Amino acid sequence: MNRLSGIFWSLLFLAVPVLGVATFAVAPAFDIWLPKDVSEHGRSIDSLFYFILALTGVVFVATELAMFWFLWKYDAAKSKGPATYIHGSHTLEVVWTIIPAATLLFLAIYQMNTWADVKMRRPAMAPTVEVVARQFEWRLRYPGRDGTLGTPDDLFLVNELHVPVDEDVLVQLKSMDVLHSFFLPNLRIKQDAVPGMKIPVWFKATETGEFDIVCAELCGWGHYKMKGRVTVESREAFDRWLEAKYAAQEATQPEADPSQSVAQSN
Amino acid sequence: MNGTMNTTDSSVARRFFNSTLVAGAALCLVAGGVGCGRTPAASFRLNMVEATKQRLTAEQEKQVATVLLAMFGTPDEPTCLPETGLDEAKLRLAAGPVRSDIVGRKNGLYREHCAHCHGVTGDALGPTAAFLNPYPRDYRPGVFKFKSTERADKPTHADLVRVLHNGIPGTSMPSFALLSSAQVDALAEYVKYLSIRGETELSLMRAFFELDDDAQGKLPESREFLVDETLSPIAEKWKTAADAQIAVPPMPTGIDLVASIAKGKELFYGDKANCVKCHGVTGLGDGQANDYDDWNKAIVEINKEISSGSEKARETSTSGMSAEDLDEHRKQIAWLAKFDSVLDGDALRPRTIPPRNLRHGIYRGGRRPLDLYYRIHAGINGAPMPAAKGTVPPEEIWHIVNYIRSLPYELDGELGADKPMLARDRF
Repeated sequence: MNRLSGIFWSLLFLAVPVLGVATFAVAPAFDIWLPKDVSEHGRSIDSLFYFILALTGVVFVATELAMFWFLWKYDAAKSKGPATYIHGSHTLEVVWTIIPAATLLFLAIYQMNTWADVKMRRPAMAPTVEVVARQFEWRLRYPGRDGTLGTPDDLFLVNELHVPVDEDVLVQLKSMDVLHSFFLPNLRIKQDAVPGMKIPVWFKATETGEFDIVCAELCGWGHYKMKGRVTVESREAFDRWLEAKYAAQEATQPEADPSQSVAQSN
Repeated sequence: MNGTMNTTDSSVARRFFNSTLVAGAALCLVAGGVGCGRTPAASFRLNMVEATKQRLTAEQEKQVATVLLAMFGTPDEPTCLPETGLDEAKLRLAAGPVRSDIVGRKNGLYREHCAHCHGVTGDALGPTAAFLNPYPRDYRPGVFKFKSTERADKPTHADLVRVLHNGIPGTSMPSFALLSSAQVDALAEYVKYLSIRGETELSLMRAFFELDDDAQGKLPESREFLVDETLSPIAEKWKTAADAQIAVPPMPTGIDLVASIAKGKELFYGDKANCVKCHGVTGLGDGQANDYDDWNKAIVEINKEISSGSEKARETSTSGMSAEDLDEHRKQIAWLAKFDSVLDGDALRPRTIPPRNLRHGIYRGGRRPLDLYYRIHAGINGAPMPAAKGTVPPEEIWHIVNYIRSLPYELDGELGADKPMLARDRF
């Protein structure tokens, strides 16, 4: 084999870990990294992510460097000696099975608490809002003044979710037709909406602001544009907003200024 | 032996390496040269159903297309005469391919958000349309269902903005609340533009029938005919839509909600409003199932005409016919066949329109008591829902509204369940 060819391919394979690490190092500067986290449990989720990234990153770079080294050192153009035939090494195989298995077991146990916080330890409270996923929008229903869903004073909205800051929020997630996934990137929440199921989702937002709701399960031709907006605001602003929306929903006269109608809702 | 083997191996490898390099380079060049392909500029479709119905010749169709081009421009470059009352700047924001302008504003809003259902021409023949139930709105007849004006009048600008903002629940029309108000405004303006254009097209096509012989099958291209007689009456209706807004009296105060609901129930089942005829005695919308909305009805009528015309043509014996009559007969057969094929490509398969199931609590035109008042007072333009105006006094309409709003929440333990269940959950 051509020595030049051997050098070329070795360097090509070396480029993979080099570029891989470089991409991760440079990405945050281009704002291509995790979205801003404004949730309480987001911290533990993100630190799990970083831990696994570091662990797998180190292993990745190490194995890639090893592969590069073998490609370089044992290039047939340079290393003309005959190949050594061995029957494998039992010790080596045991070692490189036990160590990854132990790592994975460690990871599985290490993350259990975070998983339980997000998916199992439901706060004992009445739902703040019912979210029904539909092709291709998010239909919301707030319980209204009586605090119970399914009564005539419910507030019906589309795509505009408001929640109070620094308070536990419980969402009842349903789907009207097919599988969707309720994804709040900035709140580190993602839950598939399964037709026929009523799935509780909870979080506590720690900062005010407007963030995205996106659909994370392919649901049809409009999946890419199935966006909503979640607004985190103070409890007073939230209550005021609910009152205003409810008054608009109960309107028996057209609004005085039609140009304000964009602010009204269904 | 080793030496020759090595040379053979090495030269094979080199040749393979070189050939892959060359192939890759060639592929890149080809791809770069050809590019991703260029799509042709979008163009408006002629209303072929109407053109065929009016038996227009190819020259007449061409004249209509030319006139419309002069009056309204193209999907990429819309123009509008001042008589339309439209804002051309807003049209330009909505029209054309999706792109950003120099200020970073998104353009091509209609094509990005609306065209795939409503079609580039606003004819509800976009690629998605056939898969939807109910079909998207065809703007060309200038009829809109959910508005605050009297039945035969146009919607106000605020009505269109409201529909864009809220969407239409129970249909595939989504809510565009996340667009800025300037963008929603531009889209509403563009919908008006497409509707005015569509109505002008219909008016022009129907005008051929009124021509006298010395016009020789050509429409006059004078400003007087095209603008004053054709365009202006259409545009006037849009400009004066706000004047036709329904005056809504306040909710009656001397009566409590329970009594009002009871009165509403009487009216619902009574002869004056006769709601149960269509909405059914349980409010499930099962009173009748054979009616069509105006858009589908037009196609149904055409289908009937084609099938009865075809039957008649088949049964007519051509023996003993004069040359003229034979010519007429053949032309008729050709026209019927042409109409059939035009319907295949330019019309959606007709569907009946079921009366609304009032137990669901899903109201397409809006769920405010005000919206329900509008629906009952003026009916729904384009749909079989009749106007109660004139038959039911305004105060009594409010009673019906209160009854309707209570329907999804009626508790009913009569159907054998030991726990009463909300109507909206049972149905």
